[in-house]
Formats: sequence, C-alpha cells, structure tokens
Amino acid sequence: MTTDDTVQDPGARADFAIPAGLLAAIEGALNQYIALDPEGARAFAPTYGHIICIDIAGLGTRLTLIPGPDRVQVFGAYDATPDCLIRGAPLDLLRMMTAKRKESQLSSGAVQIEGDAAVAQALSDALAGLAIDWEEQLAKVLGDPIANQIGRTLRAAGDWGGRTGETLKANLKEYLEEESRLLPTRYEVDEFLRQVDGLRDDVERLAARIARLAVLADAERGDPR
Amino acid sequence: MAEQETTHFGYQQVPVEEKAVRVREVFDSVASRYDLMNDLMSLGIHRLWKRHAIALAGVRRGQRVLDLASGTGDLAARFAGIVGPTGQVVMTDINEAMLSRGRERQLDQGRVGNLNYALANAERLPFVSEYFDCVTIGFGLRNVTHKEWAIAEMFRVLRPGGRALILEFSHPTSKAFSRVYDLYSFNVLPILGRLVTNDAESYRYLAESIRMHPDQEGLRTMMDTAGFERCTYFNLTGGVVAIHRGYKL
Repeated sequence: MTTDDTVQDPGARADFAIPAGLLAAIEGALNQYIALDPEGARAFAPTYGHIICIDIAGLGTRLTLIPGPDRVQVFGAYDATPDCLIRGAPLDLLRMMTAKRKESQLSSGAVQIEGDAAVAQALSDALAGLAIDWEEQLAKVLGDPIANQIGRTLRAAGDWGGRTGETLKANLKEYLEEESRLLPTRYEVDEFLRQVDGLRDDVERLAARIARLAVLADAERGDPR
Repeated sequence: MAEQETTHFGYQQVPVEEKAVRVREVFDSVASRYDLMNDLMSLGIHRLWKRHAIALAGVRRGQRVLDLASGTGDLAARFAGIVGPTGQVVMTDINEAMLSRGRERQLDQGRVGNLNYALANAERLPFVSEYFDCVTIGFGLRNVTHKEWAIAEMFRVLRPGGRALILEFSHPTSKAFSRVYDLYSFNVLPILGRLVTNDAESYRYLAESIRMHPDQEGLRTMMDTAGFERCTYFNLTGGVVAIHRGYKL
C-alpha cells in the first residue's frame, strides 16, 4: 500500500499534483511578499488556523492555504476537510484575490465559494490590502539616499509618461477627427444621436397615428374589431 | 551467569541499557549543527519530507499534537501555526541538548503560548492516556531501543479517532538506486560529518542505524500489532524515507 516513490503532494484527489518543491517555493515567495507589508499582514488574523482550499479549475489541481501568525503554510491537498473551498479559473481567482471589490467575480459565478465564505472574504481582502512600499524595501538594500533618488526618478518618469501619454492621446484624437476626418467629432456624434432619437420618435408617432386611423376606418365600415 | 541482553547500535551489538547512552552521545555531538547537517545530508529534501508528513497529519485548529524526538522542532513549529491559540503542541526529545536547542529556536522565532516542551523517553511517555489528536515522530524511531514500546505508547496517548505518523528513513525500493544510496551513505556522509561537525563516527552510526531499521512492511506490521488500524505508508524519494500512518479507532 504505497504511493509512488517521488516526493509529491499527497493529494490523490487532484488530477495534477503540484510537486512538493514547487509548493515550498510558492510558500516561500508568498510569505516573503506578505512580510514586505507588516501592517497589512495583520489583516490575515481572522483567517489564522483555517484550512482554505483553492480548486483551480482547468488545471485540475488544488492548493491548501493555512494562514498562521508566523507564516501562511501552503500544501497541495491537506488531509482534512477544508473550512472553505474557493473554486475558479486561474485568472478569475487572481482577479478576486487582488481586486478591492470582488462582487463582479462572485455575482457572475466566475468564482464559487463553499463553506465559510467569511474566511474566503477575509483572505482575499488581506491579500488585496497589501501595499508594498518598494522604496522602503529598496532602501534596505541600497541605503536611503540611493533609494530616495531612484524613487524620485521613477516618480518623475511616471509623471512625464502620464503627461506624454495625455498629449499623445489628444494629438491622435485631433488628427483622426479634424485632419484625416476618419472619425466624427463628439459634437457630430451628439447631433447624429439626437437626430436618430428624433426620427425614432417621429416613426413611433406615425405608427400610432396609422393604427388610430385604421381603427376609425374599420369603425366606419361597420367592422368592429 | 545469564547472558546479557543486547540490541543493535548501528551494526554493533551493545547491551540494551547502553544504547540510549550511546544515542545521546551521538546527538550531543551533532546538536549544535543539526539543522545545517540535515540540509547537507539530504540536500535540503528533508524539508519536503516534513511538509509531506504535515499534510498527511491533517491537523486542525484547536487540536492537541505530540511531537516525539522533535529535535530542533521543524514539525512542531508548523503544527503550532495550524492548531492556533486554542490548540496545543508538545515538543519532546530524550536528548536535553537537542530539546534546549529546539526550544531556543522556537522562542527566537516568536512561537510561544501553544508550544510546550518535555524531556521525555518515547518508550515511557509522561502523559495521560487518550489525550492527543495526533502523535508524530520524525527521524527518531530508529534511535529508540525498544521501538515496539514507543509505538505502544503512541497508541496509548492518542484519543480514539487520533492518528500517529512515523516519518523515518526506510529502504529504497529499487536495487540500483539502493547501491547508489549505500555509496552515498557510507562514503560521502561520514566525510560530510567530519567536515561539518568534526564527527565522522556519529554519521557512520546514522547510516548504519538506517540499515538496521525495519523496512516499510516490517514497520507497518509493528503498528498493526500495537493496535493501530488503517495503517498505510507512503514512500518518498524512492523509499529513502517512508511515512507510516495509523489510526486509533
């Protein structure tokens, strides 16, 4: 009575068992990421000790997370009934875990939750709430002055990129609308839509008038309907 | 005069009462560099074996876990995070140096509250019967003089429905791999031991004690005999290590 002879996840229920080495790497990376925001990490407290199973649809594989005060433990299949099961496609799960508002994923049925939904909600809130101060992390490696300089340069580059993007967008809009006349302007579109609305109302009024006249004509012929 | 009862210490036969003393000497010698040596010996794979054991234990928050031969507490640390403040983990070892080292390590890493420590011989556990939900022993059973006593004690302290897990070196399932493994154990391992802990003999003992340990089926039979039910084992890394699991029903 043996399993196969490689170090693997013990879950026989999953179609694809994630190798134990990869699970250990995922656990290490996740905990390092959480450790970058010690304040945000406190938001995991309501999930401590809960067995949270994530069923990744399409891959036929399961991940089990057990958050605790010192780390989030990550297993493949864990040999106990989970407190909650979160099921969805990889991208939908990622969106739900990282989005501030999860309603769209849940209401559309893209992600399903079974069991204690409050735990699943607390976990995804905690993950989405992590805010990493990259400048602070950089300062630990390079020192404050250099990290500050890099931060300012990146922010300036970001501002410049934003301004340049806005200018480019305005120029492109003007070219397409005014110079090449490939696209109508906003005013032309508004006028066109107003005319469409007017025409639709006229047609509806005419249809109503024809119907009324038809009823009158039938009445004159003595053909009550 | 009656012949003195003996047991194995690696490949040597020693008087029964002497084995515990000799094992203690081995672990006193390696305690200070135990973690480093484990990483070197197993190329870090021992962490994966332990993860596997935790997943098979399936412990939940609020449960009580007894970890025998805890060493520096790799298994106990993970259990403490899972059972939470309403649960309890008891870390034990027969060797005071190892247990002190394990305790220091847990305190340094901020694990307090649900983690207790006991200097205990696995053959005679100082705990009431039917108290724990899970009992584990990781890489410790082969050093116990009377293995059947230790397994019986594990059964005694478990609550009905509880499970015991034995993570231990075992016997490779492939003959070719077994030869490579022997070459590594008897040639590379003592050299590593000499370089890292300046103690080749202790690591020669480790290699020999693994060969003297019951094979997968042998250990499963011992668990059956002790009263465990639904006994299974899981071979890891070609049978170099096996996890045996049994339930008290």
